Amino acid sequence: MRNVWEANTSIEFEKAEPVELTLDHCIKCNICVTACPVTAVTDLFPGPKYEAPQAGRFRQPKQASPDYSVDYCSGCRACNLACPTGVKIAEINARARNDIVEEGKQSGRNKLRNNLIARPELLGKFGQPVAPLANFLLHGGVGRFFANKLFGFATKAPMPVFSRERFSNWLKKRPAPANATRKVVYFRGCSTEYFEPRVGKAAVQVMEANGFEVLVPEQNCCGLPLLSNGEFDAARAYHGSNIEKLVGYVKQGYVIVGTSTSCTLTLKEEAPELLDYYTEDARLLAANTYDIDEFLTMLYDAGELKTDGLRPIPLRLAYHQPCQFKAHRIGHPSVEIMELIPELEIVESNAWCCGVAGTYGYKEEKYQIAMDVGRPLFDFIHEVNGPINVCDSETCRWQITAATGQASVHPIELLSFAYGYPPEGELAKVLLPLS
Amino acid sequence: MSTQNDVLVVGAGLAGLTAVWQLASHGKKVRLVSKGWGATHWHSGCVDVLGYYPVDDPEPVESPGVTLAKLIADQPEHPYALVGVAGVEAALKAFQALCAEAGYPLHGSLDKNWLLPSAVGTFRPTCLAPETMIAGDLRRDDPMLVVGIKQLVDFYPNIIAENLVKQGVDADHLMVDLPPLAQRNFNTPIIIGSKMEEASFRAELVRQIKPKLGGARRVGLPAILGRLPSLAIKNDLEQQLGLPVFEIPGLPPSLPGIRLHTILVQAIERAGGRIYHGLEGVGIESDGGRVTAVLTEAAARNKPHRFNKYVVATGGILGGGIVTNHEGQAREVVFDLPVTVPNSRLDWFEQDFMDPKGHPVYRAGLAVNEQFQPLNGGSQPIYENVYAAGTTLSHSEVIRERSFEGVALATGFAVGNLLA
Repeated sequence: MRNVWEANTSIEFEKAEPVELTLDHCIKCNICVTACPVTAVTDLFPGPKYEAPQAGRFRQPKQASPDYSVDYCSGCRACNLACPTGVKIAEINARARNDIVEEGKQSGRNKLRNNLIARPELLGKFGQPVAPLANFLLHGGVGRFFANKLFGFATKAPMPVFSRERFSNWLKKRPAPANATRKVVYFRGCSTEYFEPRVGKAAVQVMEANGFEVLVPEQNCCGLPLLSNGEFDAARAYHGSNIEKLVGYVKQGYVIVGTSTSCTLTLKEEAPELLDYYTEDARLLAANTYDIDEFLTMLYDAGELKTDGLRPIPLRLAYHQPCQFKAHRIGHPSVEIMELIPELEIVESNAWCCGVAGTYGYKEEKYQIAMDVGRPLFDFIHEVNGPINVCDSETCRWQITAATGQASVHPIELLSFAYGYPPEGELAKVLLPLS
Repeated sequence: MSTQNDVLVVGAGLAGLTAVWQLASHGKKVRLVSKGWGATHWHSGCVDVLGYYPVDDPEPVESPGVTLAKLIADQPEHPYALVGVAGVEAALKAFQALCAEAGYPLHGSLDKNWLLPSAVGTFRPTCLAPETMIAGDLRRDDPMLVVGIKQLVDFYPNIIAENLVKQGVDADHLMVDLPPLAQRNFNTPIIIGSKMEEASFRAELVRQIKPKLGGARRVGLPAILGRLPSLAIKNDLEQQLGLPVFEIPGLPPSLPGIRLHTILVQAIERAGGRIYHGLEGVGIESDGGRVTAVLTEAAARNKPHRFNKYVVATGGILGGGIVTNHEGQAREVVFDLPVTVPNSRLDWFEQDFMDPKGHPVYRAGLAVNEQFQPLNGGSQPIYENVYAAGTTLSHSEVIRERSFEGVALATGFAVGNLLA
């Protein structure tokens, strides 16, 4: 019997129903329109039912799109999860966006902007080495003015802060654990490498505390920002490169875990499904990729998770599960893990989406929509009124912090503290006075 | 995680939600998984218990309580026979108490059906109706004005009023044009329901209706009186118009149904139950007579849910709990339980499409014992820890009987209490 931390290399595979054909399941019940947070706040997006199952019937290969409003779908997937008949609405919309890009129907400025924002790896590689300057440009008034005028970024977009040190540099200096009995591969994502190394450090510490040696092989951007901006060819190149760099580890029996829940979703499903990328290796990688909290719940169920001697966290914190995490369709594993931490009270948000939806809320023409979509969440964060809040996805954290002024951390940072490791950043400011 | 997991319920319609509500209220560790949002978003927001019986009798049932006893005597396999009149009444009373507590009372009892106007102006017998609808009672003879909103499609006050007049009801109609809505190309009941929460929008609606009231003594509107369970909007309109106001439920998305959904979800979450949407049940793991996990579809691989007991509340053919194929086979989608359906596909339907008795396939579903355990043809439960509730059960024809919500609520309540 395979241990839960060992890769499953003998997967059975049934090819999913083609995305476009799922529109035939639509019974026009309008539940998706009820669920859609975008159509609730703007008329620019007429709603999931109109875009995917209805306009979808009129989209033919090599023909002009019947409707360009599909660009206003944020891709949050509220519709998919609410649909009682199984129409893959968000995926149909993502493919329609790719068709529009291929048609060349975007303005040159938007295309340039979307290509910039969809390449966090490139931005990170150029920006991080000159972090102080890059941060000045991203956050200073002058930089924002030009980013808006030249490229169409929203002037108040929730820009991240480049880190002074890369995650991989920190890791290099860290000695391999002496007592490791098993190995796991960490997919760090661009945000951990260039913007928030503290999340990666927490992940490594938690895995090491559970007896793992953490391998962090060379890797690329998962390609999700490109997929959501309709740049499928570039996304295919990234995905192919990631498969090449990671699948060897899977074949050796190691699983991939990630703290960026949108990256893990992309490796699991988004890239193979949207790109129709179903090679044997792509399937192996997908089947053996886990969100880190998903993986920890599996260890827990197998009696393999360290749960003794956890340091209490005497706080009441708001938690928001990102749309991209909901889209894994595995429930709320982060909450189950955080419930193990003594004295920590987690208040779950019932709001659907923070609005930013990856890159959506960074765009001038969509910024206000994103803020309106996120309003119920921001109100909830204010209502819980904790010193910080908790969220699994980086762009959501940045959006929440920009909108509420409250710092936001990944659940793994809390578990890392509970395991006795020193907290970093905003979490340190909150927890150190308490301990 | 899998420690001390008591009951997993599959399906988020009224039956599944009610079962989970009862289980969570009794302190059980429960989870509800569903493919999507359930039938609550489609239905009228009323609780139909028994509207027509026998189903080909054109006269609506006067007292569902009295007629229920007759139905149970006639049809010992009907889901209502499993719960009994007292069981139905207990479920209705508990649900009424829950809704009243939420500030959204449901009125009525098994003694007498309401007769309320439908969205095409027919008489709609129903047992429990929210306070936002009861002024539409067609047994009253005070004249009504049915008001539509130009920007809301799918609601036609002229059709409603004209059909009601043909049946002897004093009704007139009015279509109002609301400029604040003209800013949007698309106005769903959800969007108008949120606008109704603004005092200025209500004032505009009242300003347009008031001069056209004529001799009307009550005003019917589409079901747009707010998104959340509340009477505040209705009370404010009544005060401004000086007349009773009532909602007429129409096509989905249905705000009155969503309000009931909200009430149940909040009760479940307060009691510590968990609800996950978007997790479609696709199979099980079992060790012969006992189910050890339900598998739900997820990104890259199925997710197992390990519980002590499982409730299937996935609905019938409409709800997606039962699928049929062209070879005349019908099966239940998660546990692959056998479905009672005529052996030959030719026997699924009567010759006449509109046959007042309905078609035999409409009664297809899961046959269960008194413990609501699905049976394998004979009298033996297939799995010792699987139970069924709602319109997935066989031997009822909920749409023609007008018993949809009643069957869901009563059996969901019974199974919830059985396993609590």
